[in-house]
Amino acid sequence: MSETVIEVGKRHIREINEEIQEACKKGDRIRVVNTLSRHNLGVGLPDGADITFEGSVGYFCGGLNTGSTLHIERNAGWALGEGMAKGMITVEGYAGMSVGAAMIGGTIHVKGDTGPRCGVAMKGGNIVVEGKIGYQSGFMAHSGKIIALGGAGDSCADALWQGEVWVAGEVSSFGVDVNIVEPTAEEVAEVDAILEPLGLVDSSRNWRKMISGQRLWYFESRDASAWLMI
Amino acid sequence: MCGIAGRILTSPGKVGNDLVELMDAQEHRGADSTGFAIYGLPRDEGYVLRGMGFDKSAMSADLDDFKNILHDHGSDFMDDMHIVTSHEQHYCFRMEIRDPKDLVAWVRDADAISHRIEIQSCGRTLEIIKDTGGAAEVAEKHKVRDMIGTHGLGHARLATESSVLPNASHPFWARPFSDVAIVHNGQITDYYTQKKHLERQGYRFLTENDSELIAVWVSDQIKAGMTVQQALTKSVSSIDGVFTFMIARPDGIGFAKDRFAMKPLVVIDQNGDLAAATEEQAVRRIFPNECDVINYDGPSLTGIWGVGNRSLAA
Repeated sequence: MSETVIEVGKRHIREINEEIQEACKKGDRIRVVNTLSRHNLGVGLPDGADITFEGSVGYFCGGLNTGSTLHIERNAGWALGEGMAKGMITVEGYAGMSVGAAMIGGTIHVKGDTGPRCGVAMKGGNIVVEGKIGYQSGFMAHSGKIIALGGAGDSCADALWQGEVWVAGEVSSFGVDVNIVEPTAEEVAEVDAILEPLGLVDSSRNWRKMISGQRLWYFESRDASAWLMI
Repeated sequence: MCGIAGRILTSPGKVGNDLVELMDAQEHRGADSTGFAIYGLPRDEGYVLRGMGFDKSAMSADLDDFKNILHDHGSDFMDDMHIVTSHEQHYCFRMEIRDPKDLVAWVRDADAISHRIEIQSCGRTLEIIKDTGGAAEVAEKHKVRDMIGTHGLGHARLATESSVLPNASHPFWARPFSDVAIVHNGQITDYYTQKKHLERQGYRFLTENDSELIAVWVSDQIKAGMTVQQALTKSVSSIDGVFTFMIARPDGIGFAKDRFAMKPLVVIDQNGDLAAATEEQAVRRIFPNECDVINYDGPSLTGIWGVGNRSLAA
């Protein structure tokens, strides 16, 4: 596999993303350098591409990813991987607010902490954070799992729908309508299956699994025919 | 959505140039207007005024009236004023004045003609330069890149709650507190309640911009005996809305973020050589090499960065 190196600097982001897409079509491994925390890098990437960002990236990196593997060597700004459907994003450092917002599939792996509202309104996929997830993480998550190995900030798992927030470590405070449940062995095995390829399995962890208390739900979701009549 | 920035140098230097870079990198957050608050070398007496006149055709008469009010308060111009004009109706000026007998009383009287001439900053060291247009345009028009100082603020404005007027641009001076300026990204939702409360205490607001209110609110708390840090902490629970603001004084820059963590703030601090901004890509204009970045992403955060001896550092 050949390699394409793409310089960011002060160049126009649309031009850079077009070069990334061209390199994806050729099947090259891609290195993006001098990233300078610029926004909207690597948005809408296709299935199968392999991209390394040598530095920090700004907002919406990897947004709408449909199957590429992204590796960010330092920090990521807000809305990392927003709306992604498939693929893998790894951040070596910190990731800002709204990691994986509204994502529907794939995996995001953050080795540092995240900002607030990690996994907000996510509809599928998994977010694994080795550090601490920020304020109100999991807010209105419809589906998928947020797995935090280093604790959570205030208002954790606020207003969940059918998403799950798993936390090992301290939780500063819980959000509205959280139900903390004891996970079954099968459920822990499912989480370990997500962590295993990342080399993060540790059987000694004391998990808090958070799901919705369903007290905020204003319709009877388990009877679709009833709420479709609303 | 607006973009804000702060910059502190370890010794006096081209802080204007750095603030222009910080705001140029954030122009996409609001290109309606751009402004800068620059803290130059302090003087022992006299004030620097920055202001705006709204009718170029009446400039001479309006400035005469302004000068007469100064005379009534025992003050006068210290040197020739510098006036910037363009094709637009308004003009901007910089002047140095001798100390009025009572600064607050003079500001109150001068504000009686604020519909013709508006004082936009008054300080021993502070100068606020603001105008409609993007960072490069405003910087070129007012020669901001050449300005020397220790620290300052910048703002790129997307007008949401008030008009696109040159005097509705940020930063705002905390009228009538000399040498206090603010930049703000967000919306204050109890603006009218807070404004009425402060007006009953005698404060006067020249715009309907919520940022002007925060500057006065914080300064009023300090006047009542609070430390800057205490006032910033109280602002988070007392002011309703979503915000990140930075307030500058001659000895440093303070910041506060709302309870819901809705607005960003990114900082690079290399032993007192500090750049803060809404977006990380802006502070990278100052520090292009990879280095540690502090993301103030959480809720209810406050702090102070001191100038020089760093004694105010939170």
